[in-house]
Amino acid sequence: MSEMPGKLFGWLNSRLPILNTYERHLSKHPVPSKVNFWYLFGALASVVLIIQIISGIWLIMPYSNTEEEAFSSIEYIMRDVDYGWVIRYMHTTGASMFFAVVYLHMFRGLLYGSYQKPKELVWIFGCAIYLAMMAEGFLGYVLPYGQMSYWGAQVIISLFGAIPYIGDSLELWVRGDYYISGITVSRFFALHVVALPLVLIALVFLHLVALHEVGAGNPEGVDIEEFLDDDGIPLDSVPFFPYKVLNAFVAIGVFMTVFAIIMFFFPEGGGYFIEMANFEKANPLVTPEHIAPVWYYSPYYAMLRAVPDKLGGLIIMGSAVAILFVVPWLDNSKAASIRYKGIYSKIALALFAISFLTLGYLGTVGVTEVRKTMSVICTFIYFAFFLLMPIYTKFEQTKEVPKRL
Amino acid sequence: MINKYKLSYNFKWWHAMSLACIFFITDVNASEGGPCKDYGECDKFKYSLNDMESLQSGASTFMNYCYGCHSLQYSRWGRVATDLQIPEEIFFDTLVFDKSIKSGDLMTGSMSKDSSVEWFGVAPPDLTLVSRVRGDDWIYSYLRAYYEDSSKQYGVNNLVYPGTAMPNVLMALQGSQKLICKNIPVIARNGGEKRDGTGKALTTEKCGFLEVPEGSGQLTKDEFDKVIYDLTNFLVYVGEPSKATRERIGWYVIFYFLIFTAVSYMLYREYHKDYH
Repeated sequence: MSEMPGKLFGWLNSRLPILNTYERHLSKHPVPSKVNFWYLFGALASVVLIIQIISGIWLIMPYSNTEEEAFSSIEYIMRDVDYGWVIRYMHTTGASMFFAVVYLHMFRGLLYGSYQKPKELVWIFGCAIYLAMMAEGFLGYVLPYGQMSYWGAQVIISLFGAIPYIGDSLELWVRGDYYISGITVSRFFALHVVALPLVLIALVFLHLVALHEVGAGNPEGVDIEEFLDDDGIPLDSVPFFPYKVLNAFVAIGVFMTVFAIIMFFFPEGGGYFIEMANFEKANPLVTPEHIAPVWYYSPYYAMLRAVPDKLGGLIIMGSAVAILFVVPWLDNSKAASIRYKGIYSKIALALFAISFLTLGYLGTVGVTEVRKTMSVICTFIYFAFFLLMPIYTKFEQTKEVPKRL
Repeated sequence: MINKYKLSYNFKWWHAMSLACIFFITDVNASEGGPCKDYGECDKFKYSLNDMESLQSGASTFMNYCYGCHSLQYSRWGRVATDLQIPEEIFFDTLVFDKSIKSGDLMTGSMSKDSSVEWFGVAPPDLTLVSRVRGDDWIYSYLRAYYEDSSKQYGVNNLVYPGTAMPNVLMALQGSQKLICKNIPVIARNGGEKRDGTGKALTTEKCGFLEVPEGSGQLTKDEFDKVIYDLTNFLVYVGEPSKATRERIGWYVIFYFLIFTAVSYMLYREYHKDYH
């Protein structure tokens, strides 16, 4: 009897590469032995992805995607469904936390040059994930059909109308109606729960496969593949299991504690995670005093408002995301990590981070003259960081990168 | 070539951070008017969702003074009775005036929308989520900020919501609050009262104070504030009936993850010795 599981596994394994895949991608996968906390956000992002998928499935069950019932079905979940509020807050908190860890994960990439050769594809898949997440988040925000859902969608969809020639018909095609209605809600629902999750999962799969092909980076920017032991395993690496799994567990513990604090004590996040106006049912006749996106879009919203022309704003906003994709070919530096890059790179990255955060703040508040000027300056710095990168990374003095970790 | 002119300026992260801070500090002045409008800063409200007496009294005030016009359409009768620990018999006897209502029904209001638009110009809004849309500070301030204004349809106006369509339903309890002007001492630069040459305190007239003539209402100011406190507390409860449970369970979840973190950390430290 005791041999049964072994036999069954043998039967399976000779028909499906279970053990091989498990060893290659998980248990024996070599990871740099010395990394810092910045390298934990990728694992955390996959944890949030799982949280979002599971809580999402349970939210679909009681949710109603019609104009009349969308809003009240959310209140039904919050009140009448047993522990419905847990599932819903898990999903809303998860959305914000997803962006939080992904922003930190992306910043890690810029900090330690995680896009440099041979990791270009890993970076590009990552950017595509970010783009898909932005679409996914926007579509999801429309589903509760509150005031901010409605007017946020109104602002974003009307952007399509700014495109010359095809704008008006494109806008109508996206919306499915002459104004935002139940038709818009139900098609956004389909995209949010089926189409984009499929895209996201496929991209995450590609992101990981590409990463495991070229190997994970480290804060020193050292290529660990150069020094191998007799078995061809990098000397400065440890197997993923159990070492890096335990690393991730500690990170997950800390992260989930923060997650729980937000979810159980500050689910609205002071109006930044769930906006107050969204507790009011969508009303096409009443425009809210102040339309602001949730915090994770606010930097781009600030850029949009910094440009007086609608089409210009759309182009700036689109380019701000598009430019991320070409970063691997903008960086001419010999060093990958900020630790060995020169002073220009350090100043550029610091100014970039600050302008991005400032734009984030500006996108959540009303417009004044000073703020508008500030938005223009910060948008300028944002683009200068990328567009001048080929120049400042070429002419700066880098330190010599060590050979070993 | 450029490398020859090496920058002597030693860059630190906090240099850029302080630049950003200067902007944020100067930007504070540009902040928009508060949600409580002419009232100024909203009065702070701290809910107490475990104080059943307060919630019950708030529910009673709501049913007697507000439910005539305002519905709580996402909330169910029986749920309120259970959560507020009111035995259903007593609840239905004393607080539910329509005897055809069943425990599982939604609290859909007792006034038809058409007549309310005719009477008030607008339909009184549903109040289930008012505490989440406006915030509890706002409700607590709004209900105490009515004052006599003969130019208005119902003879009253409100500092928090100027031009509000709602009459002051609680005037019998509060009395007729008035907007008055007062002579207040001028504050000198050093923080003390400013005095003239003879030592007499200088005063200046300032308007916008709310005052209730004594004896014009059934309740004293403190009693009335308590009624509004309970009512606001009840609206906070109705806005999110699971809020008290949420905050209770939250501690257990956080405790669990702290233990989880501690155990993982100890295990991590043991294994970490292998390669360092």
